[in-house]
Amino acid sequence: MSVERLKNFINGEWVEAKTDELVEIRNPARDTLLCHAPMSTRADVDAAVKAAQDAFHDWRNTPPVARARYLHRLVALMEEKFNELSVVQTTEHGKTIDESRGETRRGIEMVEVATGIPSLLQGYLLEDIAEGVDEYAIYQPLGVFCCIAPFNFPFMVPLWFLPYAIACGNTFVVKPSPRAPMSQVALFKLFDEIGLPPGVVNLVHGAREAAERLLDHPHIQGVTFVGTTQVGRQIYERCGETGKRVIAQCGAKNFIVIMPDAEVDKAMVSLMASFFGNTGQRCLSGANLLVIGDDGFYRRFVDRFVQAAASLKVGDGLDPTVQMGPLQNAAAKRRVLEIIERGVAEGARLTLDGRKLRLVGEVPETCFLNPTVFEDVIPGMAVAREEIFGPVASVLRVKDLDEAIGLINASPYGNASSIFTTNGKWARQFQHDVDPGNVGINVGIVAPMAFFPFGGRKDSFFGVLHGQGKEACRFFTDPKIVIERWF
Amino acid sequence: MKLNTMAAVMNFVSRMESASSALYLTCAERYPPLKGKFLSLATENQKFEKMVQQKYFGVITDAIEATFSFELLDTDDYNLEVVLPENATLPEVLRRALEIESTIIAFYLKAAEVSTGLMADMPRAFRKIAETRKERCLALEALARIMQETP
Repeated sequence: MSVERLKNFINGEWVEAKTDELVEIRNPARDTLLCHAPMSTRADVDAAVKAAQDAFHDWRNTPPVARARYLHRLVALMEEKFNELSVVQTTEHGKTIDESRGETRRGIEMVEVATGIPSLLQGYLLEDIAEGVDEYAIYQPLGVFCCIAPFNFPFMVPLWFLPYAIACGNTFVVKPSPRAPMSQVALFKLFDEIGLPPGVVNLVHGAREAAERLLDHPHIQGVTFVGTTQVGRQIYERCGETGKRVIAQCGAKNFIVIMPDAEVDKAMVSLMASFFGNTGQRCLSGANLLVIGDDGFYRRFVDRFVQAAASLKVGDGLDPTVQMGPLQNAAAKRRVLEIIERGVAEGARLTLDGRKLRLVGEVPETCFLNPTVFEDVIPGMAVAREEIFGPVASVLRVKDLDEAIGLINASPYGNASSIFTTNGKWARQFQHDVDPGNVGINVGIVAPMAFFPFGGRKDSFFGVLHGQGKEACRFFTDPKIVIERWF
Repeated sequence: MKLNTMAAVMNFVSRMESASSALYLTCAERYPPLKGKFLSLATENQKFEKMVQQKYFGVITDAIEATFSFELLDTDDYNLEVVLPENATLPEVLRRALEIESTIIAFYLKAAEVSTGLMADMPRAFRKIAETRKERCLALEALARIMQETP
């Protein structure tokens, strides 16, 4: 049986990439071949950017309210296809079906917020800056933007940027992850259906060659990126040389602080989602669990945490009873296994060993790991320091909140951190003093809603303005200042 | 089977509502004088199913709700006997329907109780369906009484 070769979407048409280089896209839960994705060339990217550049003039002159109507139609279609879109994500990524539904919902919310562009895009005016002279600021789109997307939220992440960019009057090119491109194909089929003018949105599959061409293309005004810190930093530097704007949301090592007065039962659901949701492949995942309290509290809490983690059902995410899916591919699993071995070698105690697989149903072991918990972790260890991007929790005992905040702020990352407590003073001190840009109080995963910017600092973010909501609209526009006097 | 995730709960709601719809559709065929009543109950079941799905799809987020774990919900506690004996009389059928409705109400109330950790929308939806079904039970009981009193 022939396997589908994915196409690019350029200038309103589905076209073959000009390459023979293909990568296999596999279902990580079943280890089956789903399709082939082409590794587009520089010429393919050039065609997409040209289409976007050609479409820009007419699109920016389309009234914002008319641009918003396309997005309203997109929202309606996304709602209609809600479950189909979610199934694609689970199939190519491995996450559970409910996690995919959550991703679909958040993607829709981004588009919904962008439909408010007639309000979001408004500038401001001051009358009589001098007698008879008025000054005003208007926000204008800049041209072609792009998104270099990651595998871990293959549907949602481009929607952190694309809807705002095009609502502002720009045009856009998405390069999905070569590991999980099918969700974007499903999304672009909807773009095709709503009848956007050709070239307003474009999809180019590929890897390094395509990404580098996007970074260097003279008509690309700005780059949005979600991925590793190493690549994000390179993108920021490279775009700095060519004067492109950048939003680069990068790696993380997130700390969760458990105070001795925490409501443990209520916290446990959040903690399971935080550490093991999306199989730990999330830049907002909990990674280091800092437990404060006497020996009795520590033991009770950690035992409960380990018990809850051990009881999570791991298997194919399309099975509705499964609570954690596989890692996205075999290489990702190997990487997590290596860091687990380093943790053991460095003296951390493996309280729950996820390498001993306990899987639901008949699934190949290729990409699976069960939840893993380390205790006796100290700050210098690899499992406390490095982003693991897998279902691994590192438990550290700390003496008090000050020490916890000190540890958090010593990390080079600054994406997210949370505290679980019933004490308002501690919570207030925590949110005020920690460095990370997303802070949770009795919330395990601090994923900002579409109408708030997605925070992130230090090595977790490169750029000035952040994605989502009003900040995204500022990123995708430039203020033009007009000073006006009539004689 | 334990219903440990919202996806599993949704599948079960779907199966449960479809099963009780099937019962009412059979009743509509077999008992023409009450055809309209039974058909409306079957239609209402579809609305309940849709209501649960829409509520959940409306509030689920990847961060907060997606990995919500249920406890204490087991399908074995909510078995529905929807196959009617060939020669069942209308009062017998109505009694069966009432039993099924009671089981479904018990499920929704339990689901509401154990889902309070979710955003309020889900337990509220479960409770609302249970309340509507209680009214349905009153109507079915009244119907059963009329049937028994009718010679």
